[in-house]
Amino acid sequence: MENSDEALCRRVAERDEAAFDLLVERYRERAWRLAWSILRDAEAARDVSQDAFIRLYEAAGSFAGRARFSTWFYRLLVNRCLDHRRRNRWWRLWARDEGEAPGGETLLERQPAPAYDPGDALSREQAVSALWAAVDRLPPRQRAVVTLQAQEELSTAEIADVLKCSQATVRVHLHRALKTLRRTLEKR
Amino acid sequence: MADHPKTDLVPYLRGELAPADRARVARHLEGCPECREDAAALHGLIETLGRSVPPPPAIHWGRWRAELTARRDARRGRHAWWWRPVPLALSASLAGALLVLVVLGGPGTPTGNDLAVVEQTLLGRRLELLRQLSVVERLELLEDLDIIRQLDRLAAASEG
Ligand SMILES: [Zn+2]
Repeated sequence: MENSDEALCRRVAERDEAAFDLLVERYRERAWRLAWSILRDAEAARDVSQDAFIRLYEAAGSFAGRARFSTWFYRLLVNRCLDHRRRNRWWRLWARDEGEAPGGETLLERQPAPAYDPGDALSREQAVSALWAAVDRLPPRQRAVVTLQAQEELSTAEIADVLKCSQATVRVHLHRALKTLRRTLEKR
Repeated sequence: MADHPKTDLVPYLRGELAPADRARVARHLEGCPECREDAAALHGLIETLGRSVPPPPAIHWGRWRAELTARRDARRGRHAWWWRPVPLALSASLAGALLVLVVLGGPGTPTGNDLAVVEQTLLGRRLELLRQLSVVERLELLEDLDIIRQLDRLAAASEG
């Protein structure tokens, strides 16, 4: 049996649970990483990454197979990331797990503590921390574009597909984002 | 120099431009120190971003997967309720009838303790369901719980 992502998605449309499990297995890490990168909030990323798979299960029949499955799935996921504030929050209130630490830490707190090693390595590490802290402060769509480009290594055409906008728009988002990031580094 | 190809620089650096556009940007860069500097800085920035992506926090995948399953099942349950209201109403009445049989009839008369166990089990099952379903269904199940309370009073009256 063919096990490409696209073939699995067609099987999910026929309510094949094993195919769904395989796609979850293949894409859950990417979904989690991408949702977290865009939202910078562990609980929201958890919610949205699960949401994307629920949507995948329900909408698998509408996957036309013209695009790559990964692009289609990224679109489900990124749309949910960008919308998440507008969505109904009942589930999170209902299923909040007290056993888990809240995901409110900042990016800087998550960075490993810099070694006491004055010089290039330290200043470089600080520069990288400042850079990603600046990515955190970008508007959501710009952050999504930077993340899809730097982290998922998608081309401009693929990012346009994911965000359902023109390549020119992606270029403008990326240009603005990089300009902001550059200014941040130069100010240091 | 007018018309600096600012938004083309990143696609140029990533090799994404069509040949004609690529040649146009290359020509511009030859004659424009400002854009050359921009291109060099952007190149460094893109490289740095690509190399230094911070990893997401660790996650307990077993729990994540269980939540996904519960949420998906809850949504399927909700759809079933909207799309098939009659069978659910029917199954609710069947459950009610069963309860009446268990509480009032059945082989032998259950003791007070047995009744408590039966009720706890039924309540437990309902509460488990309750955790997974949405507000609309919750209302309906609360009605079930109300029925159980009524039966409880009935049983107490018949005992007393
Ligand atoms: Zn120029």
